[in-house]
Amino acid sequence: MESDRDYSADLAAQEAAAREYQPQLEGPLVGERTPSHAITEAYAKADPVYVQKTLALPQTYSHYRPVQGDGNCGWRAIGFGYFEALVQTGNAQLVGAERDRLIQFPILDHSEMVYEDMRDEVAFLMNDIQAAMPDQEAAMDVLVQKFNDLDVANHILYYLRLLTSSFLKGDPNATEYLGFIPEDIGVVGFCQNYLELPGREIEHVGILLLYNVLLKPCAMVIEIAYLDRSPGPEVNTYRIPSEAEGRDPSSLGPVIYLLFRPDHYDILYPHPPPSAAHDIQVHRVSALSHEHQIASNIQNNFQAFGDGAVDMTALTLIPGVSGLGMGMPPLAAPAPSSIESYSPSPQSPWMPSPFADAIPIRQPQPQLKQEQPAPSRRAMSVVSQTVGSRTPPLRFSEYCHPQVAENYTSHEPCFTTSTFKNSHFNTAHYNNPNFQPEEYRPEQDESNYEVVRPTGKRRSH
Amino acid sequence: MEDIQNSAPGSVPAGKLGARKGADPSQNAAKRLQTELMQLMTSPAPGVSAFPSGDGNLLAWNATIEGPADTPYSGLTFKLSFEFPSNYPYAPPTVLYKTPIYHPNVDFSGRICLDILKDKWTPAYNIQSVLLSLQSLLGEPNNASPLNGEAAELWDKDPALFKGKVMDRHKDIGDD
Repeated sequence: MESDRDYSADLAAQEAAAREYQPQLEGPLVGERTPSHAITEAYAKADPVYVQKTLALPQTYSHYRPVQGDGNCGWRAIGFGYFEALVQTGNAQLVGAERDRLIQFPILDHSEMVYEDMRDEVAFLMNDIQAAMPDQEAAMDVLVQKFNDLDVANHILYYLRLLTSSFLKGDPNATEYLGFIPEDIGVVGFCQNYLELPGREIEHVGILLLYNVLLKPCAMVIEIAYLDRSPGPEVNTYRIPSEAEGRDPSSLGPVIYLLFRPDHYDILYPHPPPSAAHDIQVHRVSALSHEHQIASNIQNNFQAFGDGAVDMTALTLIPGVSGLGMGMPPLAAPAPSSIESYSPSPQSPWMPSPFADAIPIRQPQPQLKQEQPAPSRRAMSVVSQTVGSRTPPLRFSEYCHPQVAENYTSHEPCFTTSTFKNSHFNTAHYNNPNFQPEEYRPEQDESNYEVVRPTGKRRSH
Repeated sequence: MEDIQNSAPGSVPAGKLGARKGADPSQNAAKRLQTELMQLMTSPAPGVSAFPSGDGNLLAWNATIEGPADTPYSGLTFKLSFEFPSNYPYAPPTVLYKTPIYHPNVDFSGRICLDILKDKWTPAYNIQSVLLSLQSLLGEPNNASPLNGEAAELWDKDPALFKGKVMDRHKDIGDD
């Protein structure tokens, strides 16, 4: 009985610590326009699929604007994109008309006390933009400054949430969204538990609704580039509405470009349209020389990584290095001979990388590592089925380099024991001074799923 | 002031982890709380009341709830404290019972288990609606997720004993 009580108190403390945990968020709410090479560099040590896709990114998008990932990033990115697109039209009258439309939009199921401050903040923002309007740069300054004032931004973004939920409640054609809404909670529950929950990430249906209420009346279009581990040399892009798919951007209204990484949105800016060929030349040249530098950085990293024994043909996978640029088809997998010559050294899993911080909590159940036979094509397809259960810290992709992922895990010393996991040395333990709860990572599950598919074959597209 | 009666020995008080309380009152929170104060004064709800605690800090309030008739709490008055985060109303206030209360969803430190004060909070809730929710929780406890397991059990099994425990536990406290 006594030990039972201690156990439940422990659980309660763990639960409370997880509930109150606030990740340290760095940087501004909405950052400066940044050359998109910064993304490439951030992923230089990541999974080869990411390396490949982020190397191709700057060829389409010259800049990006980082958005803080506090659970509102999708709302923040689309909201900012909307106001920025309004500024870019240079049409002060349109800004005024949009202001009137937004503040007169009927907010359903809430007393004015709840939303009046939020609505006022939207009106102030649009008044200030309108006043600065002849000067687009000044108008952008207003927008960036307002979106970086937490008080102001909270109000504006929450008003967007209320517009969206009110649109859903008031839409007679809402049935088209019902497929996305969990049946047991219904429209009202969905509004309360998803759209109107502060800090709750936007989901697909939220984006559709926000598009319909905010962007569609101005003929704006969203294009989302998905940076994920799906196979392919470049990010996949999708447009909302789907009718805009495949059309030339010049034939569309303003387009808001977003970069989606699992659970996070940033804003992208494509290269200007090829109206002045000379300009484009200049851009391309600078872009290529920059990539070259990154490529050599990667090379150095690889060298340090594998005692120089790494097969450098991996570099040929990187589009842009050869100067051919986008549209280059994915190269065939390295020849089996190069696989056998690969001998990774036991890399410290504490190596700083974008993923390093997650290592201690990512470790799955402890298991005894058995000496693997020398990797061969045959062994690979068998072993790759088990790779998913021991996620390597660097998350090599099974698509590009299954042998790397496999060797890596088989050589990696396993630090996680159940004693460690349940001790306060584990940062996922509530008594750890650097407490950080384990987080559910859907993308990991997906990749596991891919790996354990019964066929055991790699996808070939 | 952290009451550790219900914490595990050696555990870190939850409030010290990532708490964002006590920062400068933001203009959002102050403006919203002034509006709420006005609403509470012009259209008070029966059986509940709230007022800033009076030390010039709009982020700390005291409130009272009268136990509803036909419940074990009938005729009793409970004092509560509200502490608002600087990003109110985008995060819930911390609400504690100051008057000792025997209830399935309140622990012996006065901490309350109610979803709208945790992960179901939205800016649509306010002081008055929180107080009314707490008042109805007195008559309809959520026995599926108790903080006080004994109370949850007795609620159905032995209403007379439950009522006795409520009266034993209750004691009026003065204003601090």
